[in-house]
Amino acid sequence: MSDTRGAGRGSAPPLVVMEHVTKRFPGVVANDDVSLELRAGEVHALIGENGAGKSTLMRVLYGMYPAEEGRTLVRGEEVRISSPRVAIANGIGMVHQHFVLVDPFSVTENVILGDEGGEILDMDRAHEKVAELALAYGFQVRPSATVEELSVGEEQRVEILKALYRGVDILILDEPTAVLTPGEAQELFGNLRRLRDDGKSIVFISHKLDEVLQIADRITVLRRGKAVGETTPAETSKAKLAEMMVGRPVLFRLDKPSVEIGEPILRVEELLGQGKLNGVSLEVRAGEILGVAGVEGNGQRELAEALIGLRPPASGRILLEGNDVVGLPVAEIRNRGVAYVPEDRHEQGLVLDMTLWENAVLGRHDDAPFLSRLGFLVIQKIKELAGRLVKQFDVRARSINVPASTLSGGNQQKLILARELDADPKLLIASQPTRGLDVGAIEFVWRQILEQKEEGRAVLLISAELDEIYALSDRIVTLYEGRITGEYPPDARPEDIGVGMLGGNEAREAS
Amino acid sequence: MAADAAAIRAPRERSAWLETAVGQGLALVAAFVIALLAGSVIILLYGESPLAVYGAMLSFAFRDPTSFGTVLAIATPLIFAALAVSVCFKGGLFNIGVEGQFLVGMVTASWAALTLDFLPGLLHLTAVLLFACIGGMVYAAVPGVLKVKTGAHEVVTTIMMNSIAISIVAYALNGPLKFTEAPPGQNVDLRTDIFEKSALMPDLGHFFGVEKSAHLSWLFPMALVAAVLVWVLIRRMRLGYEARAVGSSAGSARAGGIAIGSVQVKLFLISGALAGLVGMQQVLAERGALVQNYEALLGFTGIAVAFLGQNNPIGIVFAAILWAILTRGETALQIETDVPREFVIILQGILIFCVVVVYQVARRRLARRQLQRAGAEVGLRDTAVTDEQPQEA
Repeated sequence: MSDTRGAGRGSAPPLVVMEHVTKRFPGVVANDDVSLELRAGEVHALIGENGAGKSTLMRVLYGMYPAEEGRTLVRGEEVRISSPRVAIANGIGMVHQHFVLVDPFSVTENVILGDEGGEILDMDRAHEKVAELALAYGFQVRPSATVEELSVGEEQRVEILKALYRGVDILILDEPTAVLTPGEAQELFGNLRRLRDDGKSIVFISHKLDEVLQIADRITVLRRGKAVGETTPAETSKAKLAEMMVGRPVLFRLDKPSVEIGEPILRVEELLGQGKLNGVSLEVRAGEILGVAGVEGNGQRELAEALIGLRPPASGRILLEGNDVVGLPVAEIRNRGVAYVPEDRHEQGLVLDMTLWENAVLGRHDDAPFLSRLGFLVIQKIKELAGRLVKQFDVRARSINVPASTLSGGNQQKLILARELDADPKLLIASQPTRGLDVGAIEFVWRQILEQKEEGRAVLLISAELDEIYALSDRIVTLYEGRITGEYPPDARPEDIGVGMLGGNEAREAS
Repeated sequence: MAADAAAIRAPRERSAWLETAVGQGLALVAAFVIALLAGSVIILLYGESPLAVYGAMLSFAFRDPTSFGTVLAIATPLIFAALAVSVCFKGGLFNIGVEGQFLVGMVTASWAALTLDFLPGLLHLTAVLLFACIGGMVYAAVPGVLKVKTGAHEVVTTIMMNSIAISIVAYALNGPLKFTEAPPGQNVDLRTDIFEKSALMPDLGHFFGVEKSAHLSWLFPMALVAAVLVWVLIRRMRLGYEARAVGSSAGSARAGGIAIGSVQVKLFLISGALAGLVGMQQVLAERGALVQNYEALLGFTGIAVAFLGQNNPIGIVFAAILWAILTRGETALQIETDVPREFVIILQGILIFCVVVVYQVARRRLARRQLQRAGAEVGLRDTAVTDEQPQEA
């Protein structure tokens, strides 16, 4: 199947050819007879769901994993890439999802780290060289800045510079936009285009289809460890790509159930706090999904944490069914019917070292029937709960007895949703609920949120993804610098909402 | 519903659990062997045969019931101390203050032994033990509350409080608890009066042919019971669950409605109560009084033992016994070899060192392998099952 793909298209000889690569882990085949060609001057997107084998394939190319079968040719010659060092010597560089930078070091010091060129450092020359590189490819980053001063987007540029400094022609980027704001992502794409035009070959690992269609020259889709197809943005569409990835059609617009909007469940009045909230007021009613749109860092996290009681506001009122809950402990606010899907599921959602069943009961572990009068956990009941949740929410795990850390991101999020929704809340606070999830999982999470509306619950959806806001919300507000800067109907034009996201629209337009 | 839970249990799971247990066990054995080998080099430098020296140490621990009884008696306070350390550790707290808490426990227990002597029989002993726990708890409550209310780091406060505790013992022996009848002869060491018999811990060893000189008392089975109770607390009770959640992810625990401060204070109290019992072996089973030249540093040894037992209550029992065998080996060295007794301290140090290195290396490799496998497996199963799912429009 993979042999006939793409051959003949493009005249330049490929920079890298991976042929029939098979990589097994004990009990699984992560890459199954995958072949791939990378050409000079192209952005090659490698897409697939979590666990499809994208990162594994690239780690094989970068020398981090040995492949059991298959071979790699670089510039027409077969090479055995046994370590990242060999990969770099062959002009292959990789930027991982999690950066490996020394915070107190300057950009230049980080870039030359491991390639200092002798015992005595010529920092002036190194500075110059790094500055030249940055200028050549349009990287906005000051060589003398220390890494701790940099934003995430800038740190990523330093990582790319590190690879370029070592003279790589083939640059692998593992989910580079996962950590970026939309603006930063666009800037990255600008950098990548320059690199491509300079003849570099770029592998762009992603599962964000819009981005892939925007930046890629060619697209290879992996599913279950196999290459299931190769295409170009011109030949394909988002829906087609999603179908190739998931193996079935995926809906990007779900039908919103029509539910009668009821009484206000949550009223927030003039919430002030910690410099990030500057007088937020909003209202969510039963059966309503209120979408809070905005660029990240404008108080989203602080708002969510204030509502669940993690971060008491300096002033203002939070009325839950008419009763002020400001100052109450988290447990009490939860008891009053608030569920919380945090933006960071590792920091605030799951205890990764604990098992699925232990996580499934977190927050309800002190309620009957999960706790006996004497303070013992009723493990039988908890395991029944966990078994039921795992089944209902389709959490794929080997067992409820494995640590939560062994689940994929999508399954971790399903577990959190399952736990939070099973408590039958009146209000769901969902903060960036699909961050880092792949298409299939996003659809699942969206369905669950819409189902809450159908059940007559109130939902406060905080998201940086405008797609998500549109797909789910009955009403949209924009959050900018800790204030609500606009209110919009669900069919408002994106341009209008964009104005609010940038703070322009102070006078609220009622729908 | 239970059937559902069972249905998703894959057959591999048990083997993974076993792999972890066996892997960790092997790592500990390997660490021990490496430590013995390293110790052999030192023995050879003294011109002795490692086999003979280790043989002497071993036979000294096992050659008759009294020998082994002595080992268990030495292990007894170490078990309490290590349990005290581990309880806090589960909640992400590093209680360096077990030493101070145990000293204060000895003082309060001695006060109870001397003052509450009107209590009949077992009630007197119970009260003494209770006061030992209370002393440790009160002393542990201070760093606990300081931590929660002011954020003062428990390592700093407990270290400081250890020094204060030494002075508290000295004050008690010079003042309120000082003997009323001077000891006979030339002995001018300070101590309390000898306790009434009803305050002492009865001997257990003679049931098993262990001589009384071994001081194997009922405290040893109490330490075993304490280990089981700690296990139950950590694995089966609300507080233990909350402690583990706080210890491994404070943010998620807080978002789940767990009151972190309250959990941490409770852990300090339980830890202090266990620490209070550390001194009872010497006070109630060996000396029958609180003496000036009491055996100190047991709290610190408890940190090493807790570490050796990987903070697992059952592991701690075995680690304490192993530690005691080595400690008793000191006497063997003095009697039967030319190797100085300090060799044991060096060996214990090397052992901890080896456990740090070998155990961590092994655990990391094991974890990486399991995580990799689990991740890859679940990832693939994800898509595999998705394919078969019936789709609604």
